[in-house]
Amino acid sequence: MSPVSKKSDKPTYWRSIAELEGRPEFEQFLEHEFAEPVSDLPPTSDERRRFMQIMGASFAFAGLTTGCRWEQDYILPQTRRPEGLIPGEPRYYTTSMDMGGYATGLLAKSYDGRPVKIEGNPNHPDSLGAANVFHQASVLELYDPDRSKGFGTYSGGKRTDSSKDEFIKAIKPLMAAHRSSQGKGFRILAESTSSRTVADMKRRLLAALPEAKWYEYEPVSADNIRLGSELAFGAAYRPNYAFDKAAIVVSLDSDFLGSERAAIRNAQSFMQGRMPEKGEMSRLYIIESAYSMTGGVADHRLPLRSEFVKAVAAALDAGISGKGSPSAEMGPAQARPAAAFLEDPKVQKFVAAIEKELLANKGKSIVIAGEQQPPEVHALVHRINAVLGNVGSTITYYPDFTADRLPHKDAIIQLGKEMASGAVDTLVIIGGNPVYNAPADVGFDAALAKVKNTIRVGLHEDETTMKSGWQVPLAHYLETWGDTRGYDGTIGIQQPLIAPLYGGPSVIELIALLLDDSTKEGLDLVKRTLAASMGDDRLWRKAVHDGVLLGSGLAPVQPVLKPLGAIALSDREKAGVAVGNGQLELTLAPCPKVHDGRYANNGWLQELPDPVLKLTWGNAALIGPATAKELGVDDQTLVKLTMNGATITIPAIIAPGQAPGSVRVVLGYGRTAVGVVGIGSRLDYGLIEDYAAEYGAGDLELVGVNAYPLKTTEFGRFGGGLNVQPTGDTMKLAMTQMTHAIKDKIGRDEVQRRVPELVREGTFEEFKEKPAFAQEKVEHKALLSLWQEPVSYDKHKWGLSIDLNKCTGCNACVVACVSENNIPVVGRSRVIQGREMQWIRIDVYFRGEPDEPELAYQPLTCHQCEHAPCEQVCPVGATMHSREGLNDMVYNRCIGTRYCSNNCPYKVRRFNYFNFHEELKLEKNQTKKMMFNPDVTVRFRGVMEKCTFCIQRIQNVKIKAKNTRRAIQDGEIVTACQQTCPTGAIVFGDLNDEKSRVRALQNGPRSYAMLEELNVRPRLKYLARVKNPNPELS
Amino acid sequence: MAAADYESWYQPPKGDSEIAKLTDVVLRVAEAKRPPIGWYVAFTLAVGMLGILGISIAWLFWTGIGVWGNMHPVVWAWDITNFVFWVGIGHAGTLISAILFLLRQPWRTAINRAAEAMTIFAVMCALIFPGIHIGRPWLPYWMLPIPNQMNMWPQFRSPLDWDVFAVSTYFTVSLLFWYVGLIPDLASLRDRATTTIRRFVYGAFAMGWRGSSRQWHRYERAYLILAALSTPLVLSVHSVVSFDFATAQLPGWHTTIFPPYFVAGAIFSGFAMVVTLLVPARQFFGLKGVIEMRHLEAMNKVILATGTMVGYAYAMEFFIAWYGGSPYEGFIFFNRAFGPYAWAYWTMVSCNVIFPQLYWFKGVRTSLVGMMIINVLVNVGMWFERFVIIATSLHRDFVPSSWGYYIPTKWDFLTLTGSFGLFFTLFLLFCRYLPMVAVAEVKAQHAHTHGGH
Repeated sequence: MSPVSKKSDKPTYWRSIAELEGRPEFEQFLEHEFAEPVSDLPPTSDERRRFMQIMGASFAFAGLTTGCRWEQDYILPQTRRPEGLIPGEPRYYTTSMDMGGYATGLLAKSYDGRPVKIEGNPNHPDSLGAANVFHQASVLELYDPDRSKGFGTYSGGKRTDSSKDEFIKAIKPLMAAHRSSQGKGFRILAESTSSRTVADMKRRLLAALPEAKWYEYEPVSADNIRLGSELAFGAAYRPNYAFDKAAIVVSLDSDFLGSERAAIRNAQSFMQGRMPEKGEMSRLYIIESAYSMTGGVADHRLPLRSEFVKAVAAALDAGISGKGSPSAEMGPAQARPAAAFLEDPKVQKFVAAIEKELLANKGKSIVIAGEQQPPEVHALVHRINAVLGNVGSTITYYPDFTADRLPHKDAIIQLGKEMASGAVDTLVIIGGNPVYNAPADVGFDAALAKVKNTIRVGLHEDETTMKSGWQVPLAHYLETWGDTRGYDGTIGIQQPLIAPLYGGPSVIELIALLLDDSTKEGLDLVKRTLAASMGDDRLWRKAVHDGVLLGSGLAPVQPVLKPLGAIALSDREKAGVAVGNGQLELTLAPCPKVHDGRYANNGWLQELPDPVLKLTWGNAALIGPATAKELGVDDQTLVKLTMNGATITIPAIIAPGQAPGSVRVVLGYGRTAVGVVGIGSRLDYGLIEDYAAEYGAGDLELVGVNAYPLKTTEFGRFGGGLNVQPTGDTMKLAMTQMTHAIKDKIGRDEVQRRVPELVREGTFEEFKEKPAFAQEKVEHKALLSLWQEPVSYDKHKWGLSIDLNKCTGCNACVVACVSENNIPVVGRSRVIQGREMQWIRIDVYFRGEPDEPELAYQPLTCHQCEHAPCEQVCPVGATMHSREGLNDMVYNRCIGTRYCSNNCPYKVRRFNYFNFHEELKLEKNQTKKMMFNPDVTVRFRGVMEKCTFCIQRIQNVKIKAKNTRRAIQDGEIVTACQQTCPTGAIVFGDLNDEKSRVRALQNGPRSYAMLEELNVRPRLKYLARVKNPNPELS
Repeated sequence: MAAADYESWYQPPKGDSEIAKLTDVVLRVAEAKRPPIGWYVAFTLAVGMLGILGISIAWLFWTGIGVWGNMHPVVWAWDITNFVFWVGIGHAGTLISAILFLLRQPWRTAINRAAEAMTIFAVMCALIFPGIHIGRPWLPYWMLPIPNQMNMWPQFRSPLDWDVFAVSTYFTVSLLFWYVGLIPDLASLRDRATTTIRRFVYGAFAMGWRGSSRQWHRYERAYLILAALSTPLVLSVHSVVSFDFATAQLPGWHTTIFPPYFVAGAIFSGFAMVVTLLVPARQFFGLKGVIEMRHLEAMNKVILATGTMVGYAYAMEFFIAWYGGSPYEGFIFFNRAFGPYAWAYWTMVSCNVIFPQLYWFKGVRTSLVGMMIINVLVNVGMWFERFVIIATSLHRDFVPSSWGYYIPTKWDFLTLTGSFGLFFTLFLLFCRYLPMVAVAEVKAQHAHTHGGH
């Protein structure tokens, strides 16, 4: 019987079906006038924002989907538009993203409720307005169609759909049982987080279940810094570096500008001290086993096995603490280690030079050790810095706010043992992916089978999900409320931009659910935790607005050194520099693109060329030229790496600058359960169905090779005993630049001849003598014009300046550009064919001896030539010169003759060989459409595209300025690449504006135009790189 | 040269010893109930290859030009190579018909009809490639100045647009020239037709030709004017095609020698193709008496001359690259000869410069086997010349980070194969249904030289 007839007092006139049927929601509607979540009270600022977000998101959903994939809900039209909300106008919200236990404050750009772009939050000390590749790519992660959708149960790797209600029904008795047994056998394994709310929830959980345990595990851990601090000071401190105040920086295997924590802040302060115009430049020495981004900007680099760094640190301590004046409490200096490699003249000279320079620059230097180096090295480095008087001047220590947890290694060992012994009844795995990335000897996979109930909470359904019971879809950081802490403890607010796409809870909401907490909403949980720090609501609202609670950073501490015993060195650590099987070491590092494997399904990151070798879609064993010769390995041959009883087969790359005897493999590849992107490496259209049809579903070729089997609890990140055997097979690698692999002598010689003209660099001495040294590198005749210039550029004249001295090659600009300009992902096979689409690329050139080369980065965007060769050859006028001097692409008009690309001397144009957005046709990929920047056309097959200097951003500011009848301020227009660059290497502006920064830079002495002699008159000019080498070493 | 020798090749074709039989000898091919069995075999093969072209183009339209191996930085590869190759082939016909006509070379009448037909078919093959090589192959007409309400207009500074006009003009004039020449022979076919259909079809195309002296007068005037019109086109079309490269700023392309060098190369490849086609054709269809060895020999002499010119151009490019002093240009040529594409460069040099030198020997240039081998090699070499110019210049240009190495895909091979399918299909249809030798002209020349009947 229908509800209509049941209701006797049926209204005669009705406003909606809901009223006619007498639905309860209509009754509520009458009472509240507005539907939830707005309460009876007048809306406060943050609630109004929340309301707007939800409404915005709902509209976005309604508009973009057929409506059957999300829960049905009754929405009401905005009869009165919320104040300030203009459809189509972007809005910015602060948020922050936690990764590996520390967070960076961000600004998210939102169109009609859809976050589309991430920028750095200038208020946050770890961002200062910049963001890294992971932050930029998190938008794609949010909209990833392969994310876990809805609750489900797994059995034997097969999923059965379930629901939140069923989940609650299932865990209620389970939690009740655990409660009565004090939580015996209840374990949580979480990934590292800096969140105080998570810490609070953990405290509550352990209070309710005293016998329960909470472990944290990260496969790529910085625990050695903390352990080294405990060794040196007896307490866990975090060193924070002021590189701008340092004259000498010595990195012992530390990639502090690239993959390590606080890299954005480090890069910013380091580059402050590298501006030759200031009259002073710091000098960076690095000793490392594989080329890192930090190695790329170093003045002097010594390729040395990671194993040897300990002896180097001991030798430095012997030299410095011996000659310095260590106080009595510090204990005696180390004895100079008797290591064979230290006798090598090159090494000896290098270490002696460092020692001399450090002693000469007391209080103005920094010695920093890589996070993978053992605690002893960190302890030695803390000592050296203290003896040199750097603490307090260039280095500040903050208490480590995560010190109360077990180190990751101990945590996973302990949990593994408990699981194997059957002591664990219920295991909740929050984030991470231990089945894939736990150390091999923990036997996590096997031990997991002995756990009765496993609840897996994750963004994706991955290797761990396949072996678990329950799968709970985790909400993305852009979907839920949370709080974070920066490197120095600054509290950040994680503000949602959109309602959870797949209805998952956040970590804190999940714990609340498990605990049956009376507070359930993420926002309330965060507010409850932060109540003490925030006090009244105004402060909270300000914190949400700013993204950070300003001034909440921890107070620096004055650490006191403890005496450090003699550091023992093993035979391997004292060996000579010989190479060959038996002497080889293996170093494992996080991938600069997929990190520990968590971003394996992120196409933007998979297709990102790695900073040094420009490898995409996979990993490789990096072997130095001399070592490769010794081992009989060639470029792109498959080799078998045997270590710790496990063997992997992986393609090799002859990597310039790789330390002799050291082999580097990055982690995070060879994922077997992750999603379309992460599995099908031969994807052509991003359609797994097509792929399976062509190659057979059972024969999916994985992206890269999983190196975790080589990693044991004892091994950590590097160690000796590696065996390399070439198999004789080869495998093509997808690299966007193959300059280092040019085999013929003609090509090699020409690269060496040409690069100094393209990437101009000089020494600080040269610069002081002749600041304009770069402009004289290429001689050419006067560049005259054959015709009268048809365009006068009398209004604006856009220009870009890129400081080669400041570029660390970090790639943040590349992902920012991909995100801003809707650039497609083309897949591995297409990269091999040379069809990658990124508009900005960072070229890398090696110079000098292949075993000890120097490296030069050169970011290239479109040069927007005034005499543009591309424009003259287009038969249909699809690329035209604007009155402001940009080479505009008219996609509608382009028929794709590609003549423009032939005529472009910089080869910055990109061609759509196929419809690279074909995947959007699939129903499952509809969420990806929400990710596009509505200001930028999505290009169809067959058209040429290229960098536009972010013309949409230029236009937006121009319109705004025109509406308010004012001139455009310098710095008001920022391109996407410029905005995210941590070091401020990229500056955009109006060359007609006399006060603009770009004009000053382009007129400065260091400025030069690449290939100027062609008379194309590029609008992009570089600032030549200036190195500061030690005259004694060069 | 002795007068007798001069005579021997200068003479018009004898026409199977008896001029009276000529009409019958030539026209019976088109009138025969069945062509020779070899024709069927060749036609089946050709149509099969044409099918491959159809499939390749359909697949290209369906997916995108990414099915080819074109990549960054070699964004032009086999597509434009094939285009220039076919345009080059299409030079022989008009040169033979127009320039040799104006130069009063009566021997040309033995081969001009077939050569002109070949020209038209080659240009048809060539015209496919600019159409399908563009990213959006359904829009090539945007390169034409078609008035439209959106005010879209071609950009006339682009040499690609010059190409559109040069090639389409050349095609139109060549077609007209060929057709005008055909009219008297079409009338002969009509007159000799035994079936109504034949009489009707040939009659329609003969446009009421009756052979009156007034008609002959008009005809010869028209032919002369068309010859005069075609002559500059022979030189202009490949010059304009060469502008695609010469006006670009890419080292290896930006060369002033390109227009004459391209024209010489085009005549070279065109003549080689004519001989390659005529040797089997005269065997199969019993035209040895009309297309005589001395004609083939004369052709081979032209090939020797133009091949040597091309060789000179190769050498001169290197000289200028060195003399010009541009390091980028110097590198491109050095890299061309000794870099990763050296195999293609030396294939080109061997086929185009070295092998044709064998034509200095009379024994070689009058041997059917010898000339078949060398002329096929010349065609291979001329295809490689275009590939070398396009790919080796693009693959290592200014910025070394963007250097690459182009590798063709199966679709590249299939498309090229398919274009030969189209060419041979059309040529075989021509052999079967139209007079392969210009009967009226041979007769007229014969009469002219021998003082009339």
